[in-house]
Parts: sequence; structure tokens; C-alpha cells
Amino acid sequence: MTLRSREIFFLVPALLLGMLGLASAASARTDTLQAGPWQTAVGVAMVFLVMHFVLRLRAPYSDPYLIPIMAALTGIGLAELYRIDPTLAGEQALWMTLGGIVFCAIIVFLPDHRVLERYRYIIGLTAVGLLVFTAVFGTTVNGSRLWISVGGGQRVQLGELAKVLVVIFLAGYLREKREVLAIPTERRFGMDLPAFRHLAPILLFWGLALLVVVFLNDFGTALLFFGVFLAMLYLATGRALYVGLGLGLFLAGAMFIWATVPRIGVRVGAWLNPFDDAQGNGYQMVQSLYALADGGVVGPGFGRALLVSPGGTPRIPELQTDFIFSAVADDLGYVGSIGVMLLFLLFMARGFAIATAARDGFSKLLAGGLTAVVGLQAFIIIGGIVRLVPLTGVTLPFMSYGGSSVVVNFGIAAILLIISQRSRQGLLDAVRGVPAT
Amino acid sequence: MNRSIKSLYLALAGGFVLLFVMLGYWQVVAAGGLNERADNPYQFEKQRLVDRGRIISADKVVLAESVAYTQKRKKYFKRYYPQGDLAAQVVGYATPQQGSTGLESQYNQYLAGSYGAGAILDKLREPQKQGADIRLTLDTRVQKTAEAMLEGHRGAIVALNPQTGQVIALASSPTFDLNQVASDFAGILKTEGAPLVNRATQGRYPPGSTFKVVTATEALNSGKWTPNSTFDDTGKFVVFGQTIRNDGGVKFGVNTLTDALTFSINTTFANIGTQLGAKALGDQMTKFGFAQPTSIDLPSNEVAVSGRYRKGKLLSNTQRDEDVARIAIGQENLQVTPLQMAMVAGAIANGGRMMKPYLVKRVITPDGVVVRQQRPEELGSVSSAYVSSEVGRMMQNVVREGTAAQAGLSGLSVAGKTGTAETGTKGLNDAWFIGYAPADNPKVAVAVVIEESSGTGGQVAAPIAGQVIRTALNAGPVQGDPQP
Repeated sequence: MTLRSREIFFLVPALLLGMLGLASAASARTDTLQAGPWQTAVGVAMVFLVMHFVLRLRAPYSDPYLIPIMAALTGIGLAELYRIDPTLAGEQALWMTLGGIVFCAIIVFLPDHRVLERYRYIIGLTAVGLLVFTAVFGTTVNGSRLWISVGGGQRVQLGELAKVLVVIFLAGYLREKREVLAIPTERRFGMDLPAFRHLAPILLFWGLALLVVVFLNDFGTALLFFGVFLAMLYLATGRALYVGLGLGLFLAGAMFIWATVPRIGVRVGAWLNPFDDAQGNGYQMVQSLYALADGGVVGPGFGRALLVSPGGTPRIPELQTDFIFSAVADDLGYVGSIGVMLLFLLFMARGFAIATAARDGFSKLLAGGLTAVVGLQAFIIIGGIVRLVPLTGVTLPFMSYGGSSVVVNFGIAAILLIISQRSRQGLLDAVRGVPAT
Repeated sequence: MNRSIKSLYLALAGGFVLLFVMLGYWQVVAAGGLNERADNPYQFEKQRLVDRGRIISADKVVLAESVAYTQKRKKYFKRYYPQGDLAAQVVGYATPQQGSTGLESQYNQYLAGSYGAGAILDKLREPQKQGADIRLTLDTRVQKTAEAMLEGHRGAIVALNPQTGQVIALASSPTFDLNQVASDFAGILKTEGAPLVNRATQGRYPPGSTFKVVTATEALNSGKWTPNSTFDDTGKFVVFGQTIRNDGGVKFGVNTLTDALTFSINTTFANIGTQLGAKALGDQMTKFGFAQPTSIDLPSNEVAVSGRYRKGKLLSNTQRDEDVARIAIGQENLQVTPLQMAMVAGAIANGGRMMKPYLVKRVITPDGVVVRQQRPEELGSVSSAYVSSEVGRMMQNVVREGTAAQAGLSGLSVAGKTGTAETGTKGLNDAWFIGYAPADNPKVAVAVVIEESSGTGGQVAAPIAGQVIRTALNAGPVQGDPQP
């Protein structure tokens, strides 16, 4: 079986899963058997099929599992959005179409991702610019300043795009500096460290991450950026010490902010003891925990949990974005939520396999970084929901409602597939004796 | 770099394993506790979807049922109590706001329909389900009489079948309208006399002279005395420098044990208690169930433990250095529930064998399947059949010619014992009667307590007990039915 045949072989059941989920959620709404919003379902399936055919034409050797995994995650997400509010699902389908277009555009117009390395500083500056722009002109929603209002009541989360740009920049920067960073030349505080001028970017990044917390009031984004930075630093140097050092600095900084900024202190309090203020600051957390408990082992099924009041309001604020995982856990129980987490693990497994197979440092760092972004983001939000880490407002990739998130994550998948295509193509060319490009 | 990639993947995968564990904690381990929290809105929603089972009395009167209504094209149910305040504390209520009490709480899993198949299979079912009915041993005819007799008083009445342990009536006054719980709970809370408290099982009263039945049982068990043993009463008995006198300061002179119970002679029982000693009397109390949880099928927090309390804490039955003379006459920090005293009377009535008291005899699914059935269960023995019959004979004498004469019913032999316990307020006593009938083949054992009464147990509680006994015996074969 060719790679693309393998892809369609897994893609079809993944798409059917989403369609079944939508039909099931629709049936639960009316208590009668319903096909659900089949136009939406077919539309989304078409988007994935087009993506598949574009890959067939332009990247036939790329990894065949990424698209089916995405389809399964987006399908479950769409069904959950439909059960929360059918209009959300309709809009999400539109975002997915847009995501599909971006995906295809990247596949078609960026045949070689290595050109990105050349523009690494411009890309890095753009990322910083986007964040600063957000900090200055951003709209504050639920206390976090993450959105830029555009016309028609729509908002764009530039941070979502910035995170990809940061990964591209870091891949280029670290590829260049990895040797000097990996080989310690000085001994300070009992640790072997590289020269300060090479270490400075780490400290700069640490400062920036903390600034994001303060200005954007968003711990999740800061944690994500910093986590990805550390992950990529580790990929580049293989030195766990940096990760430990970085995490230590971040924790120290976070503790300092917790102790000094009252607003953050309240949030941490709500994380540690949500039941102390179950009707106030702990409300969202407590309602989410009730949803998890209600789901139990197997859950009642798509759309059957009592997540939405008879009046149509979700019981958990931000159910469709930050708390989409709680909805899955309630409807599908522990079994279903484990399934979703396994899909993310599979996504990471494929992403890191692509990184491993890549044949140059930049590609490895880029693929590893992009994969880490998706994995870390899922970890941060699910970890917040299960109270492993403080609850933060980041989206669950491929599942949460939101155009910026959907489009960017589709873009990440496209870049991963291009890297995959190039490494296998290169391998084949080498075998066939075609000179490398 | 590939080694780093692998390590990074393993690190992230390790993080996800932590997520699996934490999620398992919330969804499986902690789920039960979270689901039961009072502020969990799921409870409320789910409860509205369940066609909760009915609560039906022994004489087939519906005490609680669910009524369907439609809201936004969805079918919901609400609880309705056709008898209003009848046996309110026993039936109880189950609302997300007010929590749950009584049988509604104790049998919630059956009433709510989650019996049998188990929690996981339950989840696979439709959320809308029909609960099972519970059939009580309680007879509304007896219950109504008991509540009518309590009208205007604070107090409690327990009537049970001594041969089976089936509770026929469990009344507590004042009471409240169960239908008011959903509409105006604050109003119930404001009502004087704490109507939510089930005095029959939760109320702790000094037993007064009714406790002499326990002392008399041990007196005969010890073999030191017979009902005809004589004592010399000088009108006072001094222990620990304090004098115990008889009611009204009466001096009885030479009296038998039967006389002592019939006329409730304190000095004689104080004398007996002293000679028995703390250990022997305490062990007898243990056999009667004092200082242990009472095994009735009500929520444990609604059933108080009878025994000796000091500063609100329960003491063991056998304490050193205690005033056993005063325990023997029902004083010395003894606090008992009416249910406990009905069980004492019941054990004497049943040849010394104490039966487990129960309110629900059957749980029946909508398909008519009996999923749970309570059969009479013996808790233990308090004395030999001979001793209990001797104690019973003395108690008959109490009703025939002693303090409980007003409990007497024409053409029927009633056995009983009164009690008049001081409340601390001068002139106000807790008036008691415990007993059973018919004496030769007991069908009903009762305990009556009236709080802060100006009369004695014989004047106030005994006539009430007589009425309840008569109703119970006239009510028909239901109570006597040994088949649960």
C-alpha cells in the first residue's frame, strides 16, 4: 500500500467518527434519531479529502498518519461544539475550510521549508511585533489581552501565529548556535555553562515570557512559549541542565509574580483550593470538576451529558474554547478522554518521527519544535483542567472553537508534512542517484 | 539530535501519563464524592429526569410519588407527597438544595432507579429511567393515630411488631409538610420546635423509670432475686452522700420486686443496682443495644445512640466509679431514644430476643420484580425466655394495678412501665410509657414520650399508648404478618 493509500485508509474511518459524533449529538438534542448537520459534516470531510489529494499530487511521500489523526480530533471537537451550540459548529466548519485552504497553500507554495531558515530574523522580529501589537492594541477578554479586534465583531489571536513564527526563528537561531551552546566553556555556580553572550538569549526569553504574563495577563501563553523554547534548546544542545535551569528560573519568576501581583495570587488560590470559593473565583474549575465526575468511566455519549442548561447556557464558562476537553470528558467519560489524549500522543509520535527522519538540523528543530508546541499546548490546558498545573486560557489544538487556533494548527500540520515529504524524497533521490537540491 | 528528540517525546509522554492518572482520579476515584456535593448542579438536573419510585405504606397508602411535567418539550418529574405531613421525618425528602433525609435518602439508589446492574451498566442506559417502589412496614392508620395523639405536644411515638421488628408507626411532633420543602424550606426552618428532627430516632431523653425494666431484667438474670424477693424500704437510699427518695417521698416498707416495678420504687431499684454492680448492669445494657448504633434503615445521622453521655460524649456502658444506683433508676446522664425504648419493650415481649427494627420490607421495580426484601432478623438475646416472661408478668402488674393503669384496655392484657423524668425545669417532666400487648401473644410494642409535660408518665403517656396499641391491634393482620 502506498503512503497515500494508507492515509485514505485511516482518514475515512476518522471522518466517519466525526460524522457519527455529529449525528449522535444531534439525536441527543431532540431525543429522536437524526442524521445531524450533514451538510457541515460532508463539507468538513470534503476539506480533508481535498487536503489528501493535494498531498497526493504535491507531497506523496509525506507522513500518512498526521491527517487522519487531525481528522479524528477535529471531528470529535466539532461534535462537541455542535452539542454546545449548533452555530458554533457551523462557524468552526468555516474555520476548518479556511484552515484547509491555508494547508493546501503551504503544501503548494512552500515546496521547500528550508527557505524559512534564511528569513529567521525577520520572522523572529515579526513574532515579537505581533506580541507587542497585541499588548498595545489588544482587546481584553476574560482578563487576558490576547485578541485583536478586526471588523465585523471578529477577533484574531495573533499569539497563535506568533507561536509558529517563534518556533521557526528558534529553529534557525539554534541551528546556528547549537555548537557554542552545547559546549560549556565556563564554570560558574558549580555548573558548566557556555559563555554569557551565548546564554543571554535564554535570559532574554525568560524575561520576555514573564513580561507576557504581566502585560497579556496570560500565564498559559507564557508557559507555552517558554516551554517550547526550553524544548527546542534541549533538542539543539542535548543538555538537560538548561531545561532544569530554565524551568527553575521560570518557576522562581512565577512565584515572585504570584507573591506580588494580587490578581495572579487570586488565580493561584482558585487553582489550589477551588472549593473555597466555589461560587466565585473557583466557579469555573468546580463546574468543570463536576463535569469530569459526571462523565465517570464511560460517559453517557455525545450530547447526552447535562453540560448545557435547558436555557442553552453552558454550565462551564468558556466551555467551547478552554474547557472543550471537559465537555469530551463528560460526554465520553474517562475512556473517551483517554482516547483523545492518545490521539495527541499519536500526533506527537508522528511529529517527532518526522523530526527524527529529517536530514538537516533546521528541519529537525523545526519539526520537533512544532510538534512540541501542539503537545505542550494540549498538556497545559488538559493539565489545567485536571489541576496538575494552574488553569490557563490556552486552546486545545484542533478541538477548541476558534479560527486563529484552527488555521494555525492546520498550518503546523502542513509544515510538518512538507518536512516529512522532503526527507523521504531526499532519501529516495539519494537512492536513485538524483543530485541533492 | 535524534536522542534528544526521543527524550523530549518520552518527557511529554510522561506528562501525558500524569494527565491520565489525574483524570482517572477525578473521573473514577473522586467522582462519587463530587457527584454527591450539595452544590453540584448535575444532581438537580438528573433528579428532574428520573421518574422516582413511590413510597407506599403497609396499608397501601402512597406517601411519596413523582409527577411528570413538560418544560421546553422535555419531560421532567417532581416529587409529590399526597399525605403532606404524615410520617414526614420518616419519608424524608431529596432535593439538591436541601440535601436528602429519611427513607428518600436511605433508599435513594432504589428510588432513583440505579439498582441491580451496577454503576457502569447504568451509564450505558438512557438517562431517563424509572425508579423502584419501596413498600413500608409502616401502617398509616396507626401512624395517623399516633400523630393525632401527639398533636399539640412535643414528643414521639414508636410502635413496632416485637416478633418481626417491623416498625408500624414512627411519629415525631411537631411535624412539617413535605411538599413545603421545595416551595418554602425557610418557613419550615422558622417553625418552633424543630419539626425536621425525627424525635423518635434522634431525640435523646432521660428514660426515667422506664429504665427499671432493664434493671429488673438483669436482677432476674443474675439469679439473685425472683419477682417475689422482698426488700425493706425506709423511704431513702443513700449513695455517694446523696439520698435517693421515692416519688412524692413515699415510704413503702417491705416490698417485693414486683411491687417495686409496679409502684416504681426508686430505693429498691437503687439497692438492686448497687448489689448488681456497674459491670453486670452495663453488660445487660449492652445486650439491650445501649451505646451502639441502632440498626434501623434510616440514615445513620438521623438515628441517635442511646446510652450515658457526659458533656455530649457517649460513654461506654461499663464505667468505673459510677453511681450504679442512679443508673438503675434511669438517671445519671442516661439519654435514650424512643426507638431504643420500644426495642427494650419489644425484646421483653419477644421472649428475650431482640429483633432488628426496619421500615422497608420490599423494593419492587416497575416490572414487579422484588429486588430487595427484608426478613425478620434477630439482633441478639437480652435474657432467657423464662426471665423475659417473668419481667413481662411484672409489667402486666404495672398496668393492672400500678402507675400505668391508664394504659389498660378492656378485655386486653397490656404490659408496660411508666417513666417521669425531670427536665431541670420545675414541674415539667418528660413523660414516658413503654409496653406491649397482648401480653400473652405480643403483636405490638410501643414507646411514648411527651416532652415537658406537667403530668406524670402514667397520667400523660400511658393513655396515649393505650390508644396507639388499640389502633394497632384493630388495624388488622398487616402488622402481625410475619411474612415481610
